[in-house]
Amino acid sequence: MASKKRVMAAAGIAVTLGLTTAACGGSSDSDDNKGSSGSEAGYNAAITNVVNPSTTKGGTLNLWSSQDADSWDPVRGYYAFVWNLNRLYTRKLVDYTATPGKEGLKLTPDLAAAEPEVSADKLTYTFKLRDGIKFDDGSAITSKDIKYGIERVWASDVLSGGPVYLPGVLDQGQNYKGPYKDTDPNKLGLKSVTTPDDKTITFKLAKPSGDFLYLLAMPGSGPVPQKRDTGAQYGKKPAASGPYMFKDIQPGKSASWVRNPNWDQATDPIRKALPDAINLTITTNPDDLDSRLLAGTADLDVGQVGVQAAARTKLLSDPNLKKNADNPVSGFLRYAGITSVAPLNNVECRKAVIYAADPTALQAAFGGPLAAGDIGTSMLPENIAGSDANYDPFNRKQGKPQVDKAKEALTKCGQPNGFNLTITARNNRAAEVKAAEALQASLKAVGITAKIDQYDGAQQASITGSPDNVKKKGYGIIMAAWAADYPTGSGYMQPLADSRFIPANGNYNLPEIKDKAIDDLFDKANLEADPTKAAEYYKQINTKIMEGAYYLPVVSAKALNYRNPRLTNVYIHDTFGQVDFQALGVSDGK
Amino acid sequence: MSLGPEASIKDDTTTPTADAADDRTGDKAITGRSLKQIAWRRLKKDKVAIAGGIVVIFLIVVAILAPVLSKWFGHPIDEYHIDQIDPTFSTPIGKLGGISREFLFGVEPTSGRDVFSRILYGAQTSLSVAFLSAFVSTLIGTVFGLAAGFLGGWVDTVISRIMDFLLAFPQLLFAIALVSVLPDSFLGLGDRWSRVGVLVGVIGFFGWPYIGRIVRGQTLSLREREFVEASRSMGARSGRILFKELLPNLAAPILVYATLIIPTNILTEAALSFLGVGIPPPNPSWGGMLSDAVTFYSIDPMYMIIPGGMIFITVLAFNLFGDGLRDALDPKAR
Amino acid sequence: MLAYLIRRLINAVITLLVVTAVTFGIFFLVPKATGSDPALLYIGKTSDAASVEGIRVKMGLDDPIVVQYGKFLKGLVAGRDYANGPDVQHCPAPCLGYSFKTDQEVTPLLLGDLPVTLSLALGAAVLWLIMGISTGVISALRRGSIIDRTVMTGALAGVSLPIYFTGLLSSAIFVYWLGWLPQGNYVPFTESPGDWFIQLLLPWITLAFLFAATYARLTRANMLETLGEDYVRTARAKGLRERTVIGKHALRSGLTPIVTVFGLDLGALLGGAVLTETVFNLRGLGYQALTAIRGNDLPIILGVTLIAAAFIVFANLIVDLVYGIIDPRVRLA
Repeated sequence: MASKKRVMAAAGIAVTLGLTTAACGGSSDSDDNKGSSGSEAGYNAAITNVVNPSTTKGGTLNLWSSQDADSWDPVRGYYAFVWNLNRLYTRKLVDYTATPGKEGLKLTPDLAAAEPEVSADKLTYTFKLRDGIKFDDGSAITSKDIKYGIERVWASDVLSGGPVYLPGVLDQGQNYKGPYKDTDPNKLGLKSVTTPDDKTITFKLAKPSGDFLYLLAMPGSGPVPQKRDTGAQYGKKPAASGPYMFKDIQPGKSASWVRNPNWDQATDPIRKALPDAINLTITTNPDDLDSRLLAGTADLDVGQVGVQAAARTKLLSDPNLKKNADNPVSGFLRYAGITSVAPLNNVECRKAVIYAADPTALQAAFGGPLAAGDIGTSMLPENIAGSDANYDPFNRKQGKPQVDKAKEALTKCGQPNGFNLTITARNNRAAEVKAAEALQASLKAVGITAKIDQYDGAQQASITGSPDNVKKKGYGIIMAAWAADYPTGSGYMQPLADSRFIPANGNYNLPEIKDKAIDDLFDKANLEADPTKAAEYYKQINTKIMEGAYYLPVVSAKALNYRNPRLTNVYIHDTFGQVDFQALGVSDGK
Repeated sequence: MSLGPEASIKDDTTTPTADAADDRTGDKAITGRSLKQIAWRRLKKDKVAIAGGIVVIFLIVVAILAPVLSKWFGHPIDEYHIDQIDPTFSTPIGKLGGISREFLFGVEPTSGRDVFSRILYGAQTSLSVAFLSAFVSTLIGTVFGLAAGFLGGWVDTVISRIMDFLLAFPQLLFAIALVSVLPDSFLGLGDRWSRVGVLVGVIGFFGWPYIGRIVRGQTLSLREREFVEASRSMGARSGRILFKELLPNLAAPILVYATLIIPTNILTEAALSFLGVGIPPPNPSWGGMLSDAVTFYSIDPMYMIIPGGMIFITVLAFNLFGDGLRDALDPKAR
Repeated sequence: MLAYLIRRLINAVITLLVVTAVTFGIFFLVPKATGSDPALLYIGKTSDAASVEGIRVKMGLDDPIVVQYGKFLKGLVAGRDYANGPDVQHCPAPCLGYSFKTDQEVTPLLLGDLPVTLSLALGAAVLWLIMGISTGVISALRRGSIIDRTVMTGALAGVSLPIYFTGLLSSAIFVYWLGWLPQGNYVPFTESPGDWFIQLLLPWITLAFLFAATYARLTRANMLETLGEDYVRTARAKGLRERTVIGKHALRSGLTPIVTVFGLDLGALLGGAVLTETVFNLRGLGYQALTAIRGNDLPIILGVTLIAAAFIVFANLIVDLVYGIIDPRVRLA
């Protein structure tokens, strides 16, 4: 970092700390500033740099959220912030590197002592575990605990809610029912995973998979000690393998962590473990959360979905507040899936919809460029290799609807006077309904009459996620959003575009794209070990999706988040599109 | 029309509003006039009630003329004016929620839609739901109340039990649940009027026990009156007693309570819309606008004040008029 | 008296049974009628066949509805066991089951929300009784005066204001513009009585204003009626002091009808003030019920409905008993 930047940082922090610590006698200012050697506390500074780098331990981190975790059970949680918080108490064989920028998308050995040994046919992965890794009760973490944790993914009848990718790779026709129905006396009956000794774990794949390691980095692939597994209730008191363990969980109200005395810094290349304690408070009032953030009594909103409209105004109009804010890309893409309900089975009619949509009105419905994000142009978000910010096949960036082109496409489609269609939006997402209204209004301009069907978002899997139901109800446009479960092109796009990913329920391939060429490209990318070459395939898939006009990209989501100036080591982790919670510390030791 | 027993306007000491009480002496002098005439004379003297009535009529006219008025003074309800919105803050660029000659009540945050037109169309929704559901409640309430009071016995027991039970129900919660599961469109109505139908059905259904109780009580007392006894002793059939003797005497209280249930219905409809189970978009409703305003009320208060103020004015006007009507027709009923 | 009480209690229990049965029916049958699988309602992002089947078994959705309702009642009286993976979870009576969404036990969950609703309802009730009755009495005694007209106009305005408007308006004024009060976020009384009070002040006043308006109107009308009664005239004629006449005679019988209304209002509020709790972000029973309805979380919906109906039914019962005590004309039989 340039030294000029450092000076400015010191000045900036002095101003804010001067305000907050005046009562304690101003001398502490200079002490704190010595610690900051990385980057300035400026607007968007945490996106590319570590703000306030520090190794100072101690203090309590006060995290807040306006939403409770879906589950603290590593295998059942699916919210991005819960996965992020899992890094505090759940270690995996491999985990994401703790650095800002693209480097954070890479995996690094965590419980594993080194990268796995992969056989020449790319079908066998062998990991050796580190020495000295322990659970919070002092018992050693063995390869069997990891295998048991992984087996729990199969028990989705009891442990519903989380992602179920691993069975797709490792079940291989053995029809394993999960550890609770396992006849093996040790409940370790999954044949494709073996544990020759306590330090070794081997995975046997049926066919090569370039994404396999990413699946092992999900919280659900972390170790679970079988004797402490309480099934569906495990989320009330999960075991800890990371530097912090749960002290208390009050569903809907709070969660708190204290140091895990059995965690050893020497065994962990990723986690910093600076604060002595971490408290998460769940509030029902997002405005209350915002005012606490701006007042400095809360450190960070772990939801990381951005401040409310009232605080946005305050924050952006005050430079002293603005410099503690970041507006990162969250990795979420908001889009509208255009289904194959007639006449949308004609590509020209789909194009007409995309051209007619008013990019700015849709963006405004989600909150404008800062709160919603940039106008979407294609179906691969920025944080994923293979995306190209300049790829804008429908010329959406200019921000205006293209009525002439839409009408031209309508004529080609044989519907010069327009047609009727139904747009769906989830009724628990106010902005999504607003966006559907905006789309409805702009379609009207080209003669397409749209009806909006609101449905209970909790039933998504069986309503818009059921191709039969979509056909039965005649849904033409489905408002949706998607973020990658792991940061690769197939992690993002395969559920959206691969014809082999169309289940009877919980379908995300809304247009029901059935294109052999796209499927083949996914296979090629999956076999490709070199990420740069794989990225090239993903780029081609993205192009094919856009050429088919299957999706209307709406916005590439961003969020305006505030960080307490007392926080150290703040940076946005590209995998989550959020601050890396495990890295945080507090400068004032409180 | 015979002067029914409930209309024996002799003792006026309980008349609730002072204005009505003033002309007490005047009434005493008048004898031999019909209830209608007396009521009308009394109502005319009640300036507050008349003012309420005028506002009500004005609102009804506005609601009927909404398409014309919005064409003359506004913009279509679903027309976006993104240029009126500050992209960063999602709020109107202009002062006071973007109020201007072009946009009389300002524009909606995030979309720039014309608030004036949306208020007018909201009035359509509010008033039609309120009137129709009052009608439904009154109809069901009168039929069941009459049946319970007139027939007595097990019929009375069953109906009274049902009414108690409905009143013991967490109604708002059930209304939400019912509205959200009932079909979106039926009978070939558009989704807007289908939903109006659903709201009318649900609000009307939960409202009938109130009317039912009153009708039952009045019927019970009327049944024992001399003129009914007389009619019965002369061999009149039940049907005749019901329609010729009881119903005309029940007309006044029914009318009063039907009027007074309308403002309650407006509030209920707005509450349901506020909680997100009202009219489907892009059709506006006042409660829905207030619910949208929750996000912005600290930075764009005008968008909250206008629909909230409209609900207040409308409900107040109906209450004033209803109160006056009650005082005029039925001063003792409380 | 005892026989009356027993009969009323049996009636109350029957009403509650009907309420739960109807709730159960609505929320279980409607998904069937509209063709959606209730098991699928409870699945998040994933929905593989195993998860759906697991939930179906756990919820006992394969049983006929009568059996399901029977199990619910049994749980309520005797507790029930749920299979949850390796362990069998025992849910002690009164068991309302587990939330489909969060796997939390419903009974403790709702008991945890109860203090919020209790604080809100009781605090507001005290306020509105004081405000409503005092203004109503003054209005009645000074009938036709400026005070009377002002109070009655204010009261009529009060009943015409929706709480979701006054709530927003008052927090816009007192929280945002004047900054006198903090952002709403409930603090339990046991944690900090001061914060508890400050946090509830605005909801109390807003809610009380609405009810006070109704009570002022009612009190005034009842007072006027009793002041015109013969026994009050008699009391006056006996030469009793005005204070005795009003305090001992008029007020007592004038307020009797208020007791009925108050009992029912409070009963209804204790079951959850949905709108107030929503506007002020109070996580009480009403808020919980609303979230549950939106998310189709049947065990919670059933639980709140049962509690809410119980409050209303027992409020009714208590009102009738109290009525018998304060109004000698009413005999309980």
